[in-house]
Amino acid sequence: MKNIFILFLLPISLFAHLNIAVSYPYIGAITKAIGGDHVKTIVLAKGNWDPHFIIPRPSLISKLRSADALIMNGAQLEIGWLPPLIKRANNPKVIPNAPTFLNLSHQIELIQKPTSVDRSLGDVHPDGNPHFHLNPNNILTLAQSISNFLTNMDTQHGEIYRKNLQSFEQKWKAHLAQWQVRMKDRNGMKVIQFHDNLAYFNRAYGLQSIATIEPLPGIPPSSRHTLSLIGLIKEQGPCCILHDVYHSTNTAEYLAEKTGIKLIIMPHDIGALDSVDSLVGLFDYLSEAVHYD
Amino acid sequence: MKKTLLLSTLASATLFAVAPVVKPISERTFSQSQYMPDISMIMDFSYVNHSISDAELQHLEIPGVVHGIMGTHEHGGSSESTYNAKNGFNLNYAEMVLSSNVDPFFSMDAVLHFSPEGVAIEEAYFTTTALGNGFRLRGGKLLSEFGRQNSQHHHFWDFGNMGLVNEAFLGSHGINEIGAQLQWVAPTETYLMVGAELLQGTNEAMFGNAQIGEEDAVIAEGERAPSLYIGYVKSSFDIGSTTILPGISYIYGSSRLDHLEDEDPHAFAGDSTIYAADLTVKHYFDSYSFLTWQSEWMMRDMDGTKYVDNAGTIDSNDLEKKQAGYYTQLVYAYDQNWRVGARYDSIYLNDVTAQDFPEDLKRYSAMVEYHPSEFSRIRLEYNRNDSLFNEDGERQNLDTVMLQFNIAIGAHGAHDF
Repeated sequence: MKNIFILFLLPISLFAHLNIAVSYPYIGAITKAIGGDHVKTIVLAKGNWDPHFIIPRPSLISKLRSADALIMNGAQLEIGWLPPLIKRANNPKVIPNAPTFLNLSHQIELIQKPTSVDRSLGDVHPDGNPHFHLNPNNILTLAQSISNFLTNMDTQHGEIYRKNLQSFEQKWKAHLAQWQVRMKDRNGMKVIQFHDNLAYFNRAYGLQSIATIEPLPGIPPSSRHTLSLIGLIKEQGPCCILHDVYHSTNTAEYLAEKTGIKLIIMPHDIGALDSVDSLVGLFDYLSEAVHYD
Repeated sequence: MKKTLLLSTLASATLFAVAPVVKPISERTFSQSQYMPDISMIMDFSYVNHSISDAELQHLEIPGVVHGIMGTHEHGGSSESTYNAKNGFNLNYAEMVLSSNVDPFFSMDAVLHFSPEGVAIEEAYFTTTALGNGFRLRGGKLLSEFGRQNSQHHHFWDFGNMGLVNEAFLGSHGINEIGAQLQWVAPTETYLMVGAELLQGTNEAMFGNAQIGEEDAVIAEGERAPSLYIGYVKSSFDIGSTTILPGISYIYGSSRLDHLEDEDPHAFAGDSTIYAADLTVKHYFDSYSFLTWQSEWMMRDMDGTKYVDNAGTIDSNDLEKKQAGYYTQLVYAYDQNWRVGARYDSIYLNDVTAQDFPEDLKRYSAMVEYHPSEFSRIRLEYNRNDSLFNEDGERQNLDTVMLQFNIAIGAHGAHDF
């Protein structure tokens, strides 16, 4: 009799993990590192897509429907795609303000918070620049907050989450030191971007972003703006264009042809390029990519 | 400490009485502006050139299906016409959308449709947020989620007009009724959603429950409301970068169509059914570029009695209408700025008791869109409509060119798939 009872329990204990839905791959990687075997992460966005414009495929509704919790980036990065999915998932665990909902942007002091917002200035993020995970120092804060979040939900395994966090922090700090050393000679280097999504990376290592290829946030390149960039590049001599993987590089290539400026593809998340398959790998790639010479 | 606070408040109050200072929102004592719902306004404006004059357009019909499809109709005391109906400039609407959480249990959405003819509550409903187990209940005035296009607002459509079969069967508002909607998302890996709606049933093109005739001369008894029942199942799965979304729907309700005051006085009382199927296939090349193939098919069966007023005497005859049609459209988004699309509409079955109506009713459409940003869109569209006939039963081919401007301000609208 007892054996039968155990048999019945077995499948339950096998699947006794938390289903954590996360908006972007980098959040999935941190959550997996902290949660270990006790969580299953469900990543909604693909790493090679523009994080502002994730297509709200109905299959993502099913993923949210069965999630025990949702962790998102926040700072309005998901504003264009996540709200309709949440509205359709009919799952009280993934609605904002639920105790099982975590907005990571609340843990970070955001930079570039506009003093006034107006759409004639483009699609500005009113809370500040939301691409904060690209400062590798911020990953520690995010990992701590995810560890607290998991512990609050699943106190039973709190000790494991704390230990996983410690070991994650230890390894991450070692990497931080390496990246710090590797990036030292890039301090003060002038760069051009497509959209200012490397703002936190640039700030962490003293890179100076002097212009963006899009004339205003969310507004596609215009010929007038591109011509003015040619002048700016000739005048200020930035080292390179740091370009995301999801926008067309046509304008950047044109600029490179006209001015000889170097074009460097900078992945923004895990999966943005096939070779970037981990969070450490992402920053390894970024710190290497700016050492093109 | 408290006293000092009180004193300083009093002191500042006296000061402000002299020189009022507007404090920042966060410091205003009774200010509730933080609770302001998300507000947006969407405006749709067009320049239209029809090959037929407005006066003639009013009287065109799709024989056996709908009278005056491009004409004005009475609606809650004001008259209104379909979108882009007039030659020259059209202000189709300025639509205000308000939405917010109500409390931990409900959210509320309202869509107020302002047009030169007046204001209509297009939608105003609550949605439960705490039911769990995949259930969601809505109540109020809403757009039915049967099929694909019916629940989408005009500004989300890929063309400036509805599918021909949708508009011909259900009118320019589609099924937009007061009632309740229950939806359930299955706990499966593949998306599966089942929905049921119980609606008042007053769609003037096809349904209705009001008694026909005066109190002392009843022609057809009314039906107790609510009298419109809708059910649908939708599913979706991905194959690589392609998403496939099929759905089937069933609609049943009583029909009471009273046109006894019209030039050609007649009425219909009976029951009507719609069977519908839709399929959307969307392939993404990257974050901004995609190809979408969207199709919807609908078949209706209206079964009842037709009443004709012959100079004071009401003649009645059994009437059954079996009609079917579909639209199929292909839209290609080249990048964030440019989109092109083509659509083919057909009503191919028009089987009406004891009458012989044409069954080759078609419309061809093409469009090109430019999006300066996410919040503005300019669309040039061409329609060739071969489904319209004049009152003498002669086919009138209607060519239309439209330049449409759709502009949105306020809260960032996020759309369903």
